[in-house]
Amino acid sequence: MLIPHPLLGPRDAQEFTYLGDAALMNRPDPAAGEDAFCDHVYLRGNPAGVHRELWFHEQGDRSWLVVTRNTLTHEILGAELATDVARRSE
Amino acid sequence: MTDLIPMTALGGAAPRSRRHGALSLVERPDIALASLALRRGAVAPAPGGLVLPGPGGLASADGLAAFWTGPGQWMVEAAGQAEADFAAALAAMAPGCSVTEQTDGWACFEVAGDAAALEALAERLVNLPAAALAPGRATRTVLHHMGVFALRRDPGCLALWGMRSAAGSLWHALDQAALRLTAFDET
Amino acid sequence: MTRLSGHLVDTARRLSFTFDGRAFAGHPGDTLASALLANGVQLMGRSFKYHRPRGPIAAGSEEPNALVTLGRGARAEPNTRATVAELFDGLEASSQNHAGSLQRDWLAVNDRLAPFLAAGFYYKTFMWPKAFWEKLYEPVIRKAAGLGALSGLPDPDAYDRGYRHCDLLVIGAGAAGLAAALAAGRAGAQVILAEEDFRPGGRLLAEGGLLDGRPAPDWVAEVAAELATLPNVRVMTRTTVFGAYDHGIFGAVERVSDHLAEAGGGVRQTLWRITARRSVLAAGATERHIPFRDNDRPGIMLAGAIRAYANRWGVTGQRQAADPVAIFANGDDGHRTAAQLAAKGVPVLGVIDPRRDAPNLGGYETFAGATVTGTRGRLGLTAIEVTRGGRAEWLDCGLLGVSGGWNPNVHLASHHRGRPVWDEARLAFLPGPGGPAGLIPAGAAAGQGGTAEAMADGLRAAAQALGDLGIAPAPVHLPAAEAEPARQEAFWHVPGKGRAWVDFQNDVTVKDIALAHQENMRPVEHLKRWTTLGMATDQGKTANVTALAVMAELTGKAIPETGTTIFRPPYTGVSLGVLGGGDTGRGFRPTRLTPSHSWAEAEGAVFTEVGAWMRAQYFPRPGETHWRESVDREARAVRAAVGICDVTTLGKIDVQGADAGDFLNRIYANMMGTLPVGKVRYGLMLREDGHLYDDGTCARLGEDHYVVTTTTANAGTVYRNMEFARQCLWPDLDVQLISTTDAWAQIAVAGPRSRELLTRIADGADLSNQAFPFMACGAITVCGGLRARLFRISFSGELAYEIAVPARYGHALMARLMEAGADLGVTPYGTEALGVLRIEKGHAAGAELNGQTTARMIGLEKMVSRKKDAIGAVMSRRGGLASETRRLVGLVPVDPGAGVVPGSHLFAADAPQDTAHDQGWITSACFSPHVGTMIGLGFLENGEARMDEVITAANPLEGTEAALRVVSAHFVDPEGGRLRD
Repeated sequence: MLIPHPLLGPRDAQEFTYLGDAALMNRPDPAAGEDAFCDHVYLRGNPAGVHRELWFHEQGDRSWLVVTRNTLTHEILGAELATDVARRSE
Repeated sequence: MTDLIPMTALGGAAPRSRRHGALSLVERPDIALASLALRRGAVAPAPGGLVLPGPGGLASADGLAAFWTGPGQWMVEAAGQAEADFAAALAAMAPGCSVTEQTDGWACFEVAGDAAALEALAERLVNLPAAALAPGRATRTVLHHMGVFALRRDPGCLALWGMRSAAGSLWHALDQAALRLTAFDET
Repeated sequence: MTRLSGHLVDTARRLSFTFDGRAFAGHPGDTLASALLANGVQLMGRSFKYHRPRGPIAAGSEEPNALVTLGRGARAEPNTRATVAELFDGLEASSQNHAGSLQRDWLAVNDRLAPFLAAGFYYKTFMWPKAFWEKLYEPVIRKAAGLGALSGLPDPDAYDRGYRHCDLLVIGAGAAGLAAALAAGRAGAQVILAEEDFRPGGRLLAEGGLLDGRPAPDWVAEVAAELATLPNVRVMTRTTVFGAYDHGIFGAVERVSDHLAEAGGGVRQTLWRITARRSVLAAGATERHIPFRDNDRPGIMLAGAIRAYANRWGVTGQRQAADPVAIFANGDDGHRTAAQLAAKGVPVLGVIDPRRDAPNLGGYETFAGATVTGTRGRLGLTAIEVTRGGRAEWLDCGLLGVSGGWNPNVHLASHHRGRPVWDEARLAFLPGPGGPAGLIPAGAAAGQGGTAEAMADGLRAAAQALGDLGIAPAPVHLPAAEAEPARQEAFWHVPGKGRAWVDFQNDVTVKDIALAHQENMRPVEHLKRWTTLGMATDQGKTANVTALAVMAELTGKAIPETGTTIFRPPYTGVSLGVLGGGDTGRGFRPTRLTPSHSWAEAEGAVFTEVGAWMRAQYFPRPGETHWRESVDREARAVRAAVGICDVTTLGKIDVQGADAGDFLNRIYANMMGTLPVGKVRYGLMLREDGHLYDDGTCARLGEDHYVVTTTTANAGTVYRNMEFARQCLWPDLDVQLISTTDAWAQIAVAGPRSRELLTRIADGADLSNQAFPFMACGAITVCGGLRARLFRISFSGELAYEIAVPARYGHALMARLMEAGADLGVTPYGTEALGVLRIEKGHAAGAELNGQTTARMIGLEKMVSRKKDAIGAVMSRRGGLASETRRLVGLVPVDPGAGVVPGSHLFAADAPQDTAHDQGWITSACFSPHVGTMIGLGFLENGEARMDEVITAANPLEGTEAALRVVSAHFVDPEGGRLRD
C-alpha cells in the first residue's frame, strides 16, 4: 500500500506501523471514570468500509497520521497529521 | 584530551572503505551529528547561517549541513567535528531549541560514483521515488529492515546514516548491493 | 532439420546444449523448445499423474507439458518451461517425472490403471487405516505423481531486490504494449515497459504479418530503438510482472542472468517492486485447445504456437519435415496458420473445422463440419482420426495444431477482486470491473486481439493513462496492418469415448469433469479442488475456461452462470530464492552489536541473541567446563568485589521541553515531574488498560531535560507510545523526544568496590556517598577529559553505577576499567550473571512484566500515583485488577538439591493440581551462588501472607513437581543497605 503522507507525499506502507482506530486519540478525561476508559480501551469500531485509522511513520518522519481508508477496497481517501487532528478537536 | 582510543562503528581504528567498479564506499566517523527540535512557538534558528530545510530537504553551508527529520526537527552535521562536543556548540547557535547529541547514535557511510550508478544502487536499497533522493534531498526510510537516513549530498554522493549498533549489517547490505551491481561490469 | 525462411534466429552462430545427456545444437534467439523441435524432438516430458508422454503445446509461459530441469547439482532448477528457457551455449536440460528413461517410464503403468485413478480417487481410497496416510500413502503418491525434484542443496545463486517508481507501467511489449509505451514515452511520462520474453514484440514476432507492407518485426525493432533513446522510458525484458498489489504496486521478477552460461558473480534474478501511478495491462492472450480423444500426444500443439514456431524460429513441430501437418480449429484463426505453413512449403494435410461453412484461405484442404476423434502414436503423433457426417477415417499426420479461440490474459486484472466478464461475441472472459485501481487492460488482454485493433487499443489506453496523470499526449502514427479473418463459433470439446484432456499438467479429462458434476462438485471452486484442475505451475492457463465451458454444458447452463475463473498471484511461478531478495546469511536480518562487542569477543565471551542485539552471555575462563561455573563466578565477583557489564542495549530516550516533567508524569504511573535535577528515579509504565508494560529509570539532567531508560525489548514500543502521547493525546505540551540508545556506551559497574574503581578513572570527581549518593546522576569526565554521564543505580542490589560515554569509546572504556581494577578483582559479567543478580535481588524483568501483570502484583501499587493522571492509572484501579491477590514471592526448594522450573504452576501443598486450584506460577529461576541452591521468583495468591509455607510447583507438561518454600523475593540485602552505602 501507499500512504499519502501530508508532508512527504506517497510513501510505501513498509515504512509505517499500523495502530488502528483513530478513536484511540479520544482519551477520556480522567474524571470520566472507569466505564469511559473501558469503552475507550476495549470497544472500538472495526467497520467494513470507510475507517479512520492511525499509522505511525516509524521509518520516516515519526509522524502519527490519521488515514481514512476503505477497509474493503483499501482505497485511501485522505491522510493528515495526527497533531493537526488532535489540536482541532481540543 | 582523553587517552582512550575511539573505535569506528565498524570496529576499526581507521574508517573502512571499499571500491566496486564505479562505486566507492567509505565510512565517515569524523562527522558530528546533533538533533535540533523547535520548542513550542519557537522560530526556526539559522545555526551558523544555515537555513534549515523543509520536508525532505538537505541544506549545507560553511561546514555544516542540516536535513529535515520531522515536523520542527532536523539533524545537523558538522564534518570533522566528531571529537568535539558539537551538540553543545549547536545548542549555543540555536538558543531556545532542544538539541541532543547524536554523533555516536549513528554511523555514516558515503557512496560516491556517477549519478547513474548511484541511482542504480539506490533503487536496489530503498523504496523511494527518484525525486526523494535527487541532489539536495534527504529522508528517513527503511533499508534491509533497518531505519536509515538517506541523503543525496550532490549528484555524485549518496550518504546513509544508520543505527551505529547495526553498522555492520548496513555496511554488509551496501557492500553486497554494490558488488552485485558491478559484478557484470567487472567481468 | 533446416529452418523455414523469415525467422528471427541467428543461424550464423551455433549454441551447443544437451537434453537428457544427448548433445544438440541451436542458435541465439532459440528457446530450448524451439531448438529441440528444430532437432526433431517432440517428446519432452511425462505427465503428472498418468506419466503419459508429452511434448510442448505452446510457445510461451502458458506451457503445461514441456517442463524440464535446467542445470545440475545445487543449481538444478526444476519445472522450467522449455518454451521460455532461453538457449545458451552449454545449457544442460533434463526431463522430469519418470522412472527409467523418458522414453521407457515404468511409472507409465499409472496410465493403464487410469480407470481406477479418476478424480477424487485419492480422497476416496486412502482413507483407511488413518495412520497409513502420513507414513505410507502420501509419500508413495508424492513420489509417483509429481513434477521435478529439488536438489536439496543450499541455493548457491545470488538474488537481488529493487524498487522502481514510474508514471506508467506497461505490462507486455506486444502490439498494444509497444504502442502504449511509445505514446506515453513520447509524451514525456516516466514509463516502464516490462516484457517476460527476452525479445520485445509479443505476437508481432509470431504472427507473420506485415505492417505498412514490411515484416512486423521491423516495426518492433524501430519502436524498440526509439524507446531506447528516450531517457524517461525503461524497457525491462526478461521481466515477468507476476502480481498486482494495492495502490499501483506490482511484483516483478527479472531473470538477470538465467540466459548466461556464467552469471559472472552477479545476481541470477532480481525481485522488483514497481510502484506505478497508472498501468496498462497488455499481456496478450493465450490460445485454448479443444479436448478430443487422446489429444495429449507429443506432436499435438496449439495452432498459434505452431504459427509462432514457424514465423519466429523457422521450425515446425514434426519429427520429419515431410510429415503432414493438420489443423483442428473452430475459427478462422486456425486457417491462418494452415495458409501460412502452406505458403512456407510445409506439407499441410488440411484444416478440420466443425463449422459447416468453414472457409479456405488457400493452399490446403478444408474438412468442413468435421472433428478430430482420435489419434495414434505412442511417443509422438503418427495419425489422426477425422470424423465427418458420422464417417471416420484415419489420416497420417505428424503434427496437429488445435485452435479453440483465445483467452485474454486477464490474470493481473483479476488480482484485486476483479471479476472477469463473459463476452459472448468474442467467446472469452474479458477484464471486468473491480480490478486493481489504475490498471487499464489493452489489446488482446482486453479482447482486442487483431493486430490493428491491439495497436489502436494500446494508444487508447496510453491516452487514458496520460489524461489521468495530466500529461499532454504526443502524436503517434500507427502502421497499417493486414486484415485478419477472425470469425469463430463456440465449440468446446469433441464428445465421445476415451479420454479427452482438458488440463494437461494435472491430467484432468472431460470425464473427470463429468465425474465432478456427478459427485455434485459443480461450483468452479469445488471442481478445481476435486479434480486439481488449474493447479501447479501453469495454473490452468490453457485449461480453465475450457473446463468451465464443459461444466456449463453438463449443467445445461450458460458459461457466465456457471462461474468465472479468476487468478491469484503469481502469474507464473516465482522461485523462493528471489522472493527472499538475496536476504540470506548475514543479510537475513540486521544484527546490532554493543559498543564493547569486539572487546568481549577478544575476552572469549559467549554471545546470546536478545532481539536483534548480540550480547555477551558469559565470559568463560580457562578451566571452566560448564557455563554455570562461569556464571556463578561472575555473580560472586559482583557481590564480593566489582563487575562490569555492557548495558547499552537498554533503550534511552532524550526528553526535553518546558513541559517535559508534566509529560513524563502522564507517561509514568509514578511522579516524575518532582524529580530534582541530578537525580534518578525508578519508574513504571502502564498500558491504558492498567497492566504494567515497562519499567526503568528516569534521570533528570537539567531543568527541562530528562533521559528515560527502557528495557531492551521495549525500546521501540516505548518510544512509539511516547510519540503517540505527544502527538495524538497532548499536542500542546512543549516536549521533544529523540532516541539516543546507540549514542552512549553504557556500562554497569557493580559491586562493593565499584566506587573505588570508578574513582580511579573519574578525573578527580567526588564520588563519595555524600557527594554522589544513591540515585544521583551527573555529567563528569573520565580518563583525562572524556565526556561521561554517571548514574548511581543498581540492578544487582550492590553498590553500583552505570557510566555512559560516547559509544566510540565503549570498547576502550571496558579495557580501561579492566586494567584499572585488576587489583580490585574486576570481572566482566554477561546477561546470565545479570539475570542471577536481579533474581537474587527480586527485581522484576521481562518474565515478570509479561503484559498480564500489575503494579500490585509486584508489590509496587503505591507507585501508581493518585495525585495525577497517567496512562493506565484509571484502569489500574478497576475492580478486577484491584482485587488481584497474587504477589511476587521468592521460592526455594525444600530439598536443597532440587530444581526450580520456570513456567511451573503453584498449588497449595495438598491441593489437586487443576485449574480450579491454580494459585500462580514461577516466572524466573536460576542457581543462586548467594543462597547456594536454585531459587525462583513467582506470583502466588496472597503471597506476602504465606512466608515459610511449603507449596507445590507442578509442571504437568514435563510431569515434574517439587516442594518449594515461600520466602521474600529479596534474597539479598532486603533492607537495601548495600546500595545506599
